[in-house]
Amino acid sequence: MSANTHTKPYATAARRANARKLAIMAVLVLAAAAAYLLVEVNPRYFSYAMSLRVPKLIVMLIAAFAIGGASIVFQSVINNIIVTPCLLGMNSLYTLIHTAVVFVAGSGSILAINANVSFAVDLVLMGIAATLIYGYLFRKTNHNVLYVLLIGTVLTSFFGSIQSTLTRVMDPNEYDSLLSTLVASFSNVNSEIILFSLVVLAILIFVLRRDLALLDVLTLGKAQAINLGVDYDRSIRRLLLGVTLAIAVATAMVGPISFMGLIIANLSRQLLKTYRHSQLILGSVFFGMIILVAGQLIVEHVYTYAIPISVFITVGGGIYFLYLLLTRRRI
Amino acid sequence: MKVQQLTKQYDGKAVVDGVTFEIPKGKVLSLIGPNGAGKSTVMGMISRLIARDAGLVDFDGRDIAKWKSKELSKRLAILTQSNQIQMKLTVRELVAFGRFPYSAGRNTPEDETIIDQAISYMELEPFQDRFIDELSGGQRQRAMIAMVIAQDTEYILLDEPTNNLDIYHATNMMKIVRRLCDELGKTVILVLHEINYAAFYSDYICAFRDGKIAKFGTVKEVMTREVLSQIYQVDFEIMEIEGKPLSIYY
Repeated sequence: MSANTHTKPYATAARRANARKLAIMAVLVLAAAAAYLLVEVNPRYFSYAMSLRVPKLIVMLIAAFAIGGASIVFQSVINNIIVTPCLLGMNSLYTLIHTAVVFVAGSGSILAINANVSFAVDLVLMGIAATLIYGYLFRKTNHNVLYVLLIGTVLTSFFGSIQSTLTRVMDPNEYDSLLSTLVASFSNVNSEIILFSLVVLAILIFVLRRDLALLDVLTLGKAQAINLGVDYDRSIRRLLLGVTLAIAVATAMVGPISFMGLIIANLSRQLLKTYRHSQLILGSVFFGMIILVAGQLIVEHVYTYAIPISVFITVGGGIYFLYLLLTRRRI
Repeated sequence: MKVQQLTKQYDGKAVVDGVTFEIPKGKVLSLIGPNGAGKSTVMGMISRLIARDAGLVDFDGRDIAKWKSKELSKRLAILTQSNQIQMKLTVRELVAFGRFPYSAGRNTPEDETIIDQAISYMELEPFQDRFIDELSGGQRQRAMIAMVIAQDTEYILLDEPTNNLDIYHATNMMKIVRRLCDELGKTVILVLHEINYAAFYSDYICAFRDGKIAKFGTVKEVMTREVLSQIYQVDFEIMEIEGKPLSIYY
Protein backbone atom coordinates (compact mmCIF):
# COMPACT_ATOMS: atom_id res chain seq x y z
CA MET A 1 0.00 0.00 0.00
CA SER A 2 3.04 2.25 -0.02
CA ALA A 3 2.20 2.94 -3.65
CA ASN A 4 -1.05 4.48 -2.54
CA THR A 5 0.39 7.01 -0.21
CA HIS A 6 2.74 7.92 -3.02
CA THR A 7 0.26 8.39 -5.87
CA LYS A 8 -2.64 10.19 -4.41
CA PRO A 9 -0.59 13.17 -3.29
CA TYR A 10 0.97 13.22 -6.75
CA ALA A 11 -2.35 13.25 -8.57
CA THR A 12 -3.79 15.94 -6.35
CA ALA A 13 -0.52 17.88 -6.46
CA ALA A 14 -0.63 17.98 -10.26
CA ARG A 15 -4.24 19.04 -10.20
CA ARG A 16 -3.59 21.66 -7.58
CA ALA A 17 -0.64 23.03 -9.57
CA ASN A 18 -2.95 23.38 -12.56
CA ALA A 19 -5.62 25.05 -10.44
CA ARG A 20 -2.97 27.53 -9.31
CA LYS A 21 -1.89 28.23 -12.88
CA LEU A 22 -5.52 28.81 -13.85
CA ALA A 23 -6.00 31.15 -10.91
CA ILE A 24 -2.96 33.19 -11.98
CA MET A 25 -4.38 33.38 -15.50
CA ALA A 26 -7.73 34.53 -14.16
CA VAL A 27 -5.93 37.33 -12.34
CA LEU A 28 -4.11 38.25 -15.55
CA VAL A 29 -7.42 38.34 -17.41
CA LEU A 30 -8.81 40.70 -14.79
CA ALA A 31 -5.68 42.85 -14.94
CA ALA A 32 -5.86 43.06 -18.73
CA ALA A 33 -9.55 43.90 -18.55
CA ALA A 34 -8.94 46.61 -15.95
CA ALA A 35 -6.08 48.05 -17.99
CA TYR A 36 -8.22 48.02 -21.10
CA LEU A 37 -10.99 49.93 -19.34
CA LEU A 38 -8.83 52.44 -17.50
CA VAL A 39 -5.76 53.25 -19.61
CA GLU A 40 -5.76 56.88 -20.82
CA VAL A 41 -9.27 57.45 -19.67
CA ASN A 42 -10.24 61.06 -19.18
CA PRO A 43 -11.96 61.29 -15.77
CA ARG A 44 -14.25 64.02 -17.02
CA TYR A 45 -15.76 61.75 -19.64
CA PHE A 46 -15.55 58.58 -17.58
CA SER A 47 -19.05 57.28 -18.18
CA TYR A 48 -18.83 58.07 -21.89
CA ALA A 49 -15.54 56.17 -22.18
CA MET A 50 -17.03 53.24 -20.30
CA SER A 51 -20.05 53.15 -22.60
CA LEU A 52 -17.60 52.64 -25.46
CA ARG A 53 -15.13 50.33 -23.79
CA VAL A 54 -17.30 48.01 -21.71
CA PRO A 55 -19.28 46.55 -24.64
CA LYS A 56 -16.06 46.01 -26.61
CA LEU A 57 -14.47 44.28 -23.63
CA ILE A 58 -17.47 42.02 -23.17
CA VAL A 59 -17.49 41.13 -26.86
CA MET A 60 -13.82 40.17 -26.68
CA LEU A 61 -14.41 38.03 -23.61
CA ILE A 62 -17.34 36.24 -25.25
CA ALA A 63 -15.41 35.72 -28.49
CA ALA A 64 -12.44 34.32 -26.54
CA PHE A 65 -14.78 32.03 -24.65
CA ALA A 66 -16.45 30.69 -27.79
CA ILE A 67 -13.21 30.27 -29.75
CA GLY A 68 -11.20 28.87 -26.83
CA GLY A 69 -13.82 26.32 -25.89
CA ALA A 70 -14.63 25.34 -29.47
CA SER A 71 -10.96 24.89 -30.39
CA ILE A 72 -10.18 22.47 -27.57
CA VAL A 73 -13.36 20.50 -28.24
CA PHE A 74 -12.61 20.41 -31.95
CA GLN A 75 -9.02 19.20 -31.49
CA SER A 76 -10.09 16.52 -29.06
CA VAL A 77 -12.87 15.30 -31.33
CA ILE A 78 -10.55 15.16 -34.36
CA ASN A 79 -7.82 13.73 -32.09
CA ASN A 80 -5.17 16.05 -33.49
CA ILE A 81 -3.78 19.09 -31.75
CA ILE A 82 -2.68 21.12 -34.76
CA VAL A 83 -6.13 21.53 -36.29
CA THR A 84 -8.32 24.57 -35.77
CA PRO A 85 -12.04 24.95 -36.35
CA CYS A 86 -11.07 27.31 -39.21
CA LEU A 87 -10.85 24.12 -41.25
CA LEU A 88 -14.62 23.77 -41.11
CA GLY A 89 -14.93 26.73 -43.46
CA MET A 90 -16.99 28.99 -41.23
CA ASN A 91 -14.69 31.97 -41.81
CA SER A 92 -15.06 31.90 -45.55
CA LEU A 93 -18.79 31.28 -45.22
CA TYR A 94 -18.95 34.44 -43.11
CA THR A 95 -17.02 36.40 -45.75
CA LEU A 96 -19.29 35.04 -48.44
CA ILE A 97 -22.47 35.95 -46.58
CA HIS A 98 -21.30 39.50 -46.02
CA THR A 99 -20.20 39.93 -49.59
CA ALA A 100 -23.45 38.48 -50.89
CA VAL A 101 -25.50 40.79 -48.67
CA VAL A 102 -23.65 43.88 -49.90
CA PHE A 103 -23.76 42.62 -53.47
CA VAL A 104 -27.48 41.89 -53.50
CA ALA A 105 -28.88 44.50 -51.14
CA GLY A 106 -26.17 47.16 -51.34
CA SER A 107 -23.96 48.53 -48.60
CA GLY A 108 -26.64 51.03 -47.61
CA SER A 109 -29.30 48.42 -46.88
CA ILE A 110 -30.51 47.66 -43.40
CA LEU A 111 -29.03 44.17 -43.68
CA ALA A 112 -25.52 45.60 -43.87
CA ILE A 113 -25.84 48.69 -41.69
CA ASN A 114 -27.85 47.54 -38.70
CA ALA A 115 -25.51 45.49 -36.51
CA ASN A 116 -28.30 43.46 -34.98
CA VAL A 117 -29.88 42.50 -38.28
CA SER A 118 -26.51 41.73 -39.80
CA PHE A 119 -25.57 39.59 -36.79
CA ALA A 120 -28.87 37.73 -36.96
CA VAL A 121 -28.44 37.12 -40.69
CA ASP A 122 -24.91 35.80 -40.14
CA LEU A 123 -25.88 33.57 -37.30
CA VAL A 124 -28.99 32.12 -38.90
CA LEU A 125 -27.34 31.49 -42.26
CA MET A 126 -24.16 30.04 -40.77
CA GLY A 127 -26.12 27.97 -38.30
CA ILE A 128 -28.38 26.54 -40.98
CA ALA A 129 -25.49 25.90 -43.35
CA ALA A 130 -23.45 24.24 -40.60
CA THR A 131 -26.30 22.04 -39.45
CA LEU A 132 -27.29 21.00 -42.94
CA ILE A 133 -23.84 20.56 -44.44
CA TYR A 134 -22.10 18.96 -41.48
CA GLY A 135 -25.09 17.10 -40.10
CA TYR A 136 -25.51 15.54 -43.54
CA LEU A 137 -21.81 14.93 -44.05
CA PHE A 138 -21.30 13.10 -40.76
CA ARG A 139 -24.02 10.66 -41.67
CA LYS A 140 -22.85 10.32 -45.24
CA THR A 141 -19.20 9.68 -44.32
CA ASN A 142 -20.02 7.38 -41.41
CA HIS A 143 -18.64 9.94 -38.96
CA ASN A 144 -15.21 9.84 -40.48
CA VAL A 145 -13.76 13.09 -39.18
CA LEU A 146 -10.97 13.10 -41.75
CA TYR A 147 -13.49 13.34 -44.60
CA VAL A 148 -15.24 16.10 -42.73
CA LEU A 149 -11.95 18.02 -42.51
CA LEU A 150 -11.23 17.43 -46.18
CA ILE A 151 -14.69 18.58 -47.22
CA GLY A 152 -14.35 21.59 -44.90
CA THR A 153 -11.16 22.57 -46.71
CA VAL A 154 -12.84 22.14 -50.09
CA LEU A 155 -15.82 24.20 -48.93
CA THR A 156 -13.44 26.92 -47.72
CA SER A 157 -12.06 27.42 -51.19
CA PHE A 158 -15.52 26.97 -52.73
CA PHE A 159 -16.99 29.78 -50.63
CA GLY A 160 -13.83 31.81 -51.20
CA SER A 161 -14.13 31.48 -54.99
CA ILE A 162 -17.75 32.59 -55.04
CA GLN A 163 -16.87 35.50 -52.79
CA SER A 164 -13.99 36.67 -54.96
CA THR A 165 -16.16 36.34 -58.07
CA LEU A 166 -18.74 38.60 -56.44
CA THR A 167 -16.15 41.20 -55.45
CA ARG A 168 -14.81 41.31 -59.01
CA VAL A 169 -18.13 42.46 -60.42
CA MET A 170 -18.89 44.73 -57.47
CA ASP A 171 -18.92 48.50 -57.44
CA PRO A 172 -15.52 49.61 -56.00
CA ASN A 173 -17.16 51.92 -53.46
CA GLU A 174 -19.31 49.10 -52.20
CA TYR A 175 -16.27 46.89 -51.99
CA ASP A 176 -14.46 49.48 -49.95
CA SER A 177 -17.21 49.62 -47.35
CA LEU A 178 -17.49 45.84 -47.40
CA LEU A 179 -13.79 45.34 -46.72
CA SER A 180 -13.97 46.85 -43.26
CA THR A 181 -16.46 44.19 -42.10
CA LEU A 182 -14.35 41.34 -43.45
CA VAL A 183 -11.47 42.01 -41.09
CA ALA A 184 -11.85 41.06 -37.45
CA SER A 185 -12.46 44.17 -35.39
CA PHE A 186 -14.06 45.24 -32.18
CA SER A 187 -15.35 48.59 -33.27
CA ASN A 188 -19.08 49.16 -33.70
CA VAL A 189 -20.26 46.46 -31.35
CA ASN A 190 -23.61 46.89 -29.75
CA SER A 191 -24.95 45.56 -26.54
CA GLU A 192 -27.94 43.75 -28.00
CA ILE A 193 -25.58 41.49 -29.94
CA ILE A 194 -23.96 40.63 -26.63
CA LEU A 195 -27.19 39.43 -25.11
CA PHE A 196 -28.12 37.53 -28.24
CA SER A 197 -24.83 35.66 -28.41
CA LEU A 198 -24.79 34.92 -24.69
CA VAL A 199 -28.19 33.29 -25.02
CA VAL A 200 -27.06 31.23 -28.01
CA LEU A 201 -23.91 30.05 -26.22
CA ALA A 202 -25.81 29.25 -23.03
CA ILE A 203 -28.32 27.12 -24.96
CA LEU A 204 -25.46 25.40 -26.75
CA ILE A 205 -23.70 24.49 -23.50
CA PHE A 206 -26.94 23.33 -21.92
CA VAL A 207 -27.85 21.07 -24.84
CA LEU A 208 -24.34 19.63 -25.04
CA ARG A 209 -23.62 19.33 -21.32
CA ARG A 210 -23.62 15.51 -21.34
CA ASP A 211 -21.42 15.28 -24.41
CA LEU A 212 -18.97 17.80 -22.97
CA ALA A 213 -18.65 15.66 -19.86
CA LEU A 214 -17.68 12.75 -22.11
CA LEU A 215 -14.80 14.61 -23.78
CA ASP A 216 -12.14 13.02 -21.58
CA VAL A 217 -13.30 9.55 -22.63
CA LEU A 218 -13.84 10.45 -26.29
CA THR A 219 -10.18 11.35 -26.68
CA LEU A 220 -9.22 7.76 -25.89
CA GLY A 221 -10.41 7.00 -29.43
CA LYS A 222 -13.48 5.40 -30.90
CA ALA A 223 -12.83 1.79 -29.86
CA GLN A 224 -12.01 2.68 -26.25
CA ALA A 225 -14.93 5.08 -25.95
CA ILE A 226 -17.36 2.42 -27.16
CA ASN A 227 -15.72 -0.13 -24.89
CA LEU A 228 -16.42 2.17 -21.96
CA GLY A 229 -20.07 2.40 -22.93
CA VAL A 230 -20.15 5.75 -24.72
CA ASP A 231 -22.27 6.36 -27.83
CA TYR A 232 -19.27 7.71 -29.73
CA ASP A 233 -20.80 8.64 -33.09
CA ARG A 234 -23.69 10.54 -31.55
CA SER A 235 -21.49 12.54 -29.19
CA ILE A 236 -18.97 13.36 -31.89
CA ARG A 237 -21.70 14.56 -34.23
CA ARG A 238 -23.32 16.72 -31.59
CA LEU A 239 -20.01 18.19 -30.43
CA LEU A 240 -18.87 19.03 -33.95
CA LEU A 241 -22.16 20.81 -34.62
CA GLY A 242 -21.69 22.66 -31.34
CA VAL A 243 -18.18 23.68 -32.41
CA THR A 244 -19.45 25.01 -35.75
CA LEU A 245 -22.19 27.00 -34.06
CA ALA A 246 -19.86 28.43 -31.40
CA ILE A 247 -17.44 29.49 -34.13
CA ALA A 248 -20.35 30.96 -36.05
CA VAL A 249 -21.24 33.08 -33.00
CA ALA A 250 -17.66 34.25 -32.53
CA THR A 251 -17.17 35.00 -36.22
CA ALA A 252 -20.47 36.85 -36.47
CA MET A 253 -19.48 38.96 -33.48
CA VAL A 254 -15.92 39.94 -34.33
CA GLY A 255 -15.17 38.65 -37.82
CA PRO A 256 -12.90 35.85 -39.00
CA ILE A 257 -10.51 35.35 -36.12
CA SER A 258 -10.81 31.68 -35.25
CA PHE A 259 -7.21 31.00 -36.28
CA MET A 260 -6.50 32.25 -32.78
CA GLY A 261 -8.00 28.96 -31.57
CA LEU A 262 -4.89 27.09 -32.66
CA ILE A 263 -2.67 29.31 -30.53
CA ILE A 264 -4.71 29.39 -27.37
CA ALA A 265 -5.67 25.71 -27.39
CA ASN A 266 -2.04 24.66 -27.72
CA LEU A 267 -0.79 27.16 -25.18
CA SER A 268 -3.31 25.71 -22.78
CA ARG A 269 -2.25 22.14 -23.53
CA GLN A 270 1.42 23.03 -23.12
CA LEU A 271 0.89 24.85 -19.88
CA LEU A 272 -1.45 22.41 -18.16
CA LYS A 273 -0.25 19.05 -19.54
CA THR A 274 -3.42 17.27 -18.60
CA TYR A 275 -6.23 15.36 -20.28
CA ARG A 276 -8.95 16.98 -18.15
CA HIS A 277 -11.03 19.05 -20.51
CA SER A 278 -12.57 21.15 -17.79
CA GLN A 279 -9.09 22.55 -17.10
CA LEU A 280 -7.93 22.60 -20.73
CA ILE A 281 -10.99 24.55 -21.87
CA LEU A 282 -10.66 27.04 -19.03
CA GLY A 283 -6.97 27.54 -19.83
CA SER A 284 -7.70 28.03 -23.50
CA VAL A 285 -10.47 30.53 -22.76
CA PHE A 286 -8.22 32.51 -20.40
CA PHE A 287 -5.39 32.61 -22.93
CA GLY A 288 -7.84 33.84 -25.54
CA MET A 289 -9.10 36.58 -23.24
CA ILE A 290 -5.58 37.73 -22.37
CA ILE A 291 -4.45 37.78 -26.01
CA LEU A 292 -7.53 39.57 -27.30
CA VAL A 293 -7.79 42.17 -24.54
CA ALA A 294 -4.07 42.89 -24.30
CA GLY A 295 -3.78 42.85 -28.09
CA GLN A 296 -6.64 45.29 -28.50
CA LEU A 297 -5.11 47.50 -25.81
CA ILE A 298 -1.91 47.69 -27.86
CA VAL A 299 -3.83 48.23 -31.09
CA GLU A 300 -5.76 51.13 -29.63
CA HIS A 301 -3.09 52.90 -27.62
CA VAL A 302 0.24 52.05 -29.24
CA TYR A 303 -0.72 51.74 -32.91
CA THR A 304 -3.81 53.96 -32.60
CA TYR A 305 -5.90 51.62 -34.76
CA ALA A 306 -3.38 51.62 -37.60
CA ILE A 307 -3.15 47.82 -37.52
CA PRO A 308 -6.16 45.60 -36.80
CA ILE A 309 -5.72 42.95 -34.14
CA SER A 310 -6.27 40.13 -36.62
CA VAL A 311 -2.92 40.99 -38.22
CA PHE A 312 -1.14 40.34 -34.93
CA ILE A 313 -3.04 37.12 -34.41
CA THR A 314 -2.35 35.84 -37.91
CA VAL A 315 1.36 36.69 -37.76
CA GLY A 316 1.81 35.40 -34.22
CA GLY A 317 -0.34 32.35 -34.92
CA GLY A 318 1.58 31.55 -38.07
CA ILE A 319 4.91 31.62 -36.28
CA TYR A 320 3.55 29.54 -33.42
CA PHE A 321 2.09 27.05 -35.91
CA LEU A 322 5.50 26.60 -37.53
CA TYR A 323 7.04 26.17 -34.10
CA LEU A 324 4.50 23.43 -33.31
CA LEU A 325 5.19 21.66 -36.59
CA LEU A 326 8.94 21.76 -36.15
CA THR A 327 9.10 20.74 -32.51
CA ARG A 328 6.55 17.94 -32.46
CA ARG A 329 7.83 14.45 -32.97
CA ARG A 330 4.67 13.23 -34.62
CA ILE A 331 1.68 15.06 -35.98
CA MET B 1 -22.08 -16.15 -25.14
CA LYS B 2 -23.12 -17.53 -28.53
CA VAL B 3 -22.53 -16.41 -32.07
CA GLN B 4 -24.99 -17.54 -34.75
CA GLN B 5 -24.73 -17.16 -38.51
CA LEU B 6 -22.66 -14.01 -38.15
CA THR B 7 -22.12 -12.32 -41.52
CA LYS B 8 -20.35 -9.19 -42.67
CA GLN B 9 -19.97 -7.94 -46.21
CA TYR B 10 -17.80 -5.22 -47.64
CA ASP B 11 -18.80 -4.11 -51.15
CA GLY B 12 -20.85 -7.23 -51.68
CA LYS B 13 -17.98 -9.55 -50.74
CA ALA B 14 -18.54 -11.56 -47.58
CA VAL B 15 -15.54 -11.26 -45.25
CA VAL B 16 -17.37 -13.16 -42.53
CA ASP B 17 -19.83 -15.72 -43.77
CA GLY B 18 -22.28 -17.58 -41.55
CA VAL B 19 -20.02 -18.00 -38.52
CA THR B 20 -21.55 -19.95 -35.62
CA PHE B 21 -19.82 -20.91 -32.39
CA GLU B 22 -20.20 -20.80 -28.66
CA ILE B 23 -17.69 -19.14 -26.35
CA PRO B 24 -16.75 -21.44 -23.47
CA LYS B 25 -17.11 -19.58 -20.19
CA GLY B 26 -14.06 -19.14 -17.97
CA LYS B 27 -11.66 -20.34 -20.68
CA VAL B 28 -9.17 -18.80 -23.05
CA LEU B 29 -10.30 -18.92 -26.68
CA SER B 30 -7.94 -17.94 -29.48
CA LEU B 31 -9.08 -16.94 -32.94
CA ILE B 32 -6.43 -17.77 -35.53
CA GLY B 33 -6.20 -17.84 -39.29
CA PRO B 34 -4.41 -16.25 -42.23
CA ASN B 35 -4.66 -12.54 -43.03
CA GLY B 36 -8.10 -11.59 -44.23
CA ALA B 37 -9.73 -14.71 -42.82
CA GLY B 38 -12.18 -12.54 -40.89
CA LYS B 39 -11.04 -13.21 -37.32
CA SER B 40 -10.63 -9.55 -36.35
CA THR B 41 -13.96 -8.72 -37.97
CA VAL B 42 -15.66 -11.45 -35.94
CA MET B 43 -14.03 -10.00 -32.83
CA GLY B 44 -15.26 -6.54 -33.78
CA MET B 45 -18.82 -7.77 -34.21
CA ILE B 46 -18.79 -9.68 -30.93
CA SER B 47 -17.67 -6.52 -29.15
CA ARG B 48 -20.17 -4.18 -30.94
CA LEU B 49 -17.33 -2.15 -32.49
CA ILE B 50 -18.33 -3.31 -35.98
CA ALA B 51 -21.93 -3.46 -37.18
CA ARG B 52 -22.95 -6.84 -38.55
CA ASP B 53 -24.99 -7.49 -41.67
CA ALA B 54 -26.72 -10.64 -40.49
CA GLY B 55 -26.69 -13.11 -37.65
CA LEU B 56 -26.93 -12.96 -33.91
CA VAL B 57 -24.55 -12.35 -31.03
CA ASP B 58 -26.28 -13.77 -27.98
CA PHE B 59 -24.87 -12.37 -24.76
CA ASP B 60 -26.47 -13.77 -21.62
CA GLY B 61 -29.71 -14.60 -23.41
CA ARG B 62 -30.09 -11.24 -25.16
CA ASP B 63 -28.79 -10.00 -28.48
CA ILE B 64 -25.81 -7.72 -28.02
CA ALA B 65 -27.46 -4.93 -30.04
CA LYS B 66 -30.32 -4.87 -27.53
CA TRP B 67 -28.00 -4.31 -24.57
CA LYS B 68 -27.44 -0.83 -23.31
CA SER B 69 -23.87 0.05 -24.23
CA LYS B 70 -23.20 1.15 -20.69
CA GLU B 71 -24.45 -2.11 -19.15
CA LEU B 72 -22.41 -4.08 -21.62
CA SER B 73 -19.30 -2.12 -20.71
CA LYS B 74 -19.53 -3.51 -17.18
CA ARG B 75 -19.50 -7.07 -18.46
CA LEU B 76 -17.40 -7.09 -21.60
CA ALA B 77 -14.16 -5.29 -22.31
CA ILE B 78 -12.32 -4.99 -25.61
CA LEU B 79 -8.79 -3.92 -26.35
CA THR B 80 -7.96 -3.18 -29.99
CA GLN B 81 -4.61 -2.85 -31.72
CA SER B 82 -4.85 0.83 -32.44
CA ASN B 83 -4.40 2.78 -29.27
CA GLN B 84 -2.97 6.09 -30.31
CA ILE B 85 -3.68 8.23 -27.31
CA GLN B 86 -2.77 11.82 -28.05
CA MET B 87 -3.56 13.10 -24.60
CA LYS B 88 -1.12 13.80 -21.83
CA LEU B 89 -2.30 10.89 -19.72
CA THR B 90 -0.49 9.13 -16.90
CA VAL B 91 -0.68 5.38 -16.42
CA ARG B 92 -2.83 5.78 -13.37
CA GLU B 93 -5.20 8.15 -15.13
CA LEU B 94 -5.52 5.68 -17.99
CA VAL B 95 -6.27 2.78 -15.63
CA ALA B 96 -8.81 4.98 -13.84
CA PHE B 97 -10.78 5.22 -17.10
CA GLY B 98 -11.60 1.55 -16.60
CA ARG B 99 -13.99 2.66 -13.86
CA PHE B 100 -15.85 5.03 -16.17
CA PRO B 101 -18.80 2.66 -16.77
CA TYR B 102 -19.38 2.55 -13.03
CA SER B 103 -18.59 6.05 -11.86
CA ALA B 104 -18.85 8.21 -15.01
CA GLY B 105 -15.60 9.98 -14.18
CA ARG B 106 -16.25 10.60 -10.47
CA ASN B 107 -14.30 7.81 -8.84
CA THR B 108 -15.21 6.79 -5.30
CA PRO B 109 -12.63 5.49 -2.79
CA GLU B 110 -13.86 2.02 -3.73
CA ASP B 111 -13.01 2.71 -7.37
CA GLU B 112 -9.58 3.97 -6.31
CA THR B 113 -8.95 0.70 -4.47
CA ILE B 114 -9.84 -1.30 -7.58
CA ILE B 115 -7.51 0.94 -9.63
CA ASP B 116 -4.72 0.32 -7.11
CA GLN B 117 -5.27 -3.41 -7.35
CA ALA B 118 -5.25 -3.37 -11.14
CA ILE B 119 -2.02 -1.38 -11.17
CA SER B 120 -0.30 -3.66 -8.71
CA TYR B 121 -1.60 -6.77 -10.51
CA MET B 122 0.15 -5.55 -13.65
CA GLU B 123 3.21 -4.50 -11.58
CA LEU B 124 2.93 -0.95 -12.82
CA GLU B 125 3.47 0.86 -9.52
CA PRO B 126 6.86 2.29 -10.51
CA PHE B 127 5.35 3.75 -13.69
CA GLN B 128 1.97 4.87 -12.50
CA ASP B 129 2.77 8.59 -12.61
CA ARG B 130 4.57 8.41 -15.95
CA PHE B 131 2.89 9.70 -19.09
CA ILE B 132 1.69 6.99 -21.47
CA ASP B 133 3.63 8.40 -24.41
CA GLU B 134 6.88 8.05 -22.45
CA LEU B 135 6.48 4.30 -21.97
CA SER B 136 7.85 1.42 -24.02
CA GLY B 137 5.46 -0.67 -26.10
CA GLY B 138 5.39 -3.49 -23.55
CA GLN B 139 4.69 -1.16 -20.63
CA ARG B 140 1.97 0.64 -22.56
CA GLN B 141 0.31 -2.67 -23.39
CA ARG B 142 0.41 -3.65 -19.71
CA ALA B 143 -1.16 -0.32 -18.79
CA MET B 144 -3.98 -0.99 -21.26
CA ILE B 145 -4.52 -4.44 -19.71
CA ALA B 146 -4.58 -2.86 -16.25
CA MET B 147 -7.34 -0.57 -17.47
CA VAL B 148 -9.30 -3.58 -18.69
CA ILE B 149 -8.79 -5.26 -15.31
CA ALA B 150 -10.09 -2.15 -13.56
CA GLN B 151 -13.13 -2.34 -15.82
CA ASP B 152 -13.85 -5.61 -14.01
CA THR B 153 -15.75 -7.48 -16.72
CA GLU B 154 -16.46 -11.19 -17.07
CA TYR B 155 -15.39 -11.18 -20.69
CA ILE B 156 -12.15 -9.73 -22.02
CA LEU B 157 -11.57 -9.44 -25.77
CA LEU B 158 -8.05 -8.77 -26.99
CA ASP B 159 -7.33 -8.02 -30.64
CA GLU B 160 -3.76 -9.11 -31.38
CA PRO B 161 -2.32 -8.26 -27.98
CA THR B 162 1.16 -9.49 -28.96
CA ASN B 163 1.35 -7.30 -32.05
CA ASN B 164 4.48 -5.11 -32.15
CA LEU B 165 5.90 -6.75 -29.03
CA ASP B 166 9.22 -8.57 -28.94
CA ILE B 167 9.42 -12.22 -27.84
CA TYR B 168 9.98 -11.34 -24.19
CA HIS B 169 7.05 -8.96 -23.93
CA ALA B 170 4.80 -11.06 -26.12
CA THR B 171 5.41 -14.12 -23.96
CA ASN B 172 4.75 -12.09 -20.83
CA MET B 173 1.54 -10.84 -22.38
CA MET B 174 0.39 -14.41 -23.01
CA LYS B 175 1.23 -15.37 -19.41
CA ILE B 176 -0.89 -12.45 -18.26
CA VAL B 177 -3.75 -13.69 -20.45
CA ARG B 178 -3.46 -17.10 -18.77
CA ARG B 179 -3.48 -15.50 -15.31
CA LEU B 180 -6.54 -13.39 -16.18
CA CYS B 181 -8.34 -16.64 -16.83
CA ASP B 182 -6.89 -18.87 -14.09
CA GLU B 183 -6.60 -16.38 -11.23
CA LEU B 184 -9.35 -13.88 -11.95
CA GLY B 185 -11.78 -16.27 -13.63
CA LYS B 186 -12.19 -14.17 -16.77
CA THR B 187 -13.31 -15.48 -20.12
CA VAL B 188 -10.65 -14.29 -22.54
CA ILE B 189 -11.07 -14.22 -26.31
CA LEU B 190 -8.10 -13.14 -28.35
CA VAL B 191 -7.09 -12.79 -31.95
CA LEU B 192 -3.59 -14.14 -32.50
CA HIS B 193 -1.24 -14.44 -35.42
CA GLU B 194 1.31 -16.59 -33.66
CA ILE B 195 -0.15 -20.13 -33.67
CA ASN B 196 2.18 -21.48 -31.00
CA TYR B 197 1.10 -18.84 -28.50
CA ALA B 198 -2.47 -19.91 -29.19
CA ALA B 199 -1.51 -23.54 -28.74
CA PHE B 200 0.46 -23.07 -25.55
CA TYR B 201 -1.73 -20.59 -23.69
CA SER B 202 -5.33 -21.17 -24.75
CA ASP B 203 -7.93 -23.81 -23.96
CA TYR B 204 -9.81 -23.61 -27.24
CA ILE B 205 -8.91 -22.47 -30.71
CA CYS B 206 -11.20 -21.28 -33.43
CA ALA B 207 -9.47 -21.33 -36.81
CA PHE B 208 -10.80 -19.21 -39.66
CA ARG B 209 -10.32 -19.43 -43.36
CA ASP B 210 -12.05 -17.27 -46.02
CA GLY B 211 -14.58 -15.86 -43.59
CA LYS B 212 -15.73 -19.27 -42.38
CA ILE B 213 -14.80 -21.42 -39.41
CA ALA B 214 -12.33 -24.03 -40.62
CA LYS B 215 -12.07 -25.76 -37.26
CA PHE B 216 -13.28 -25.09 -33.75
CA GLY B 217 -12.12 -27.26 -30.87
CA THR B 218 -9.72 -27.82 -28.05
CA VAL B 219 -6.07 -27.06 -28.68
CA LYS B 220 -5.30 -30.74 -29.32
CA GLU B 221 -8.11 -31.04 -31.85
CA VAL B 222 -7.05 -28.01 -33.87
CA MET B 223 -3.28 -28.37 -33.65
CA THR B 224 -2.86 -31.20 -36.12
CA ARG B 225 -0.88 -31.35 -39.33
CA GLU B 226 -3.97 -31.85 -41.46
CA VAL B 227 -6.01 -29.00 -39.99
CA LEU B 228 -3.19 -26.45 -39.94
CA SER B 229 -1.84 -27.16 -43.41
CA GLN B 230 -5.35 -26.94 -44.80
CA ILE B 231 -5.90 -23.56 -43.14
CA TYR B 232 -2.56 -21.97 -43.90
CA GLN B 233 -1.60 -23.84 -47.10
CA VAL B 234 1.87 -24.44 -45.65
CA ASP B 235 3.57 -27.66 -44.50
CA PHE B 236 3.42 -28.25 -40.76
CA GLU B 237 5.09 -30.55 -38.26
CA ILE B 238 3.55 -30.93 -34.81
CA MET B 239 5.68 -31.73 -31.80
CA GLU B 240 4.84 -31.90 -28.15
CA ILE B 241 6.47 -29.77 -25.43
CA GLU B 242 5.25 -29.85 -21.81
CA GLY B 243 2.29 -31.88 -23.00
CA LYS B 244 1.20 -29.19 -25.43
CA PRO B 245 1.24 -29.45 -29.20
CA LEU B 246 3.48 -26.91 -30.88
CA SER B 247 3.85 -26.42 -34.59
CA ILE B 248 6.81 -25.97 -36.82
CA TYR B 249 6.17 -24.51 -40.24
CA TYR B 250 8.49 -23.89 -43.09
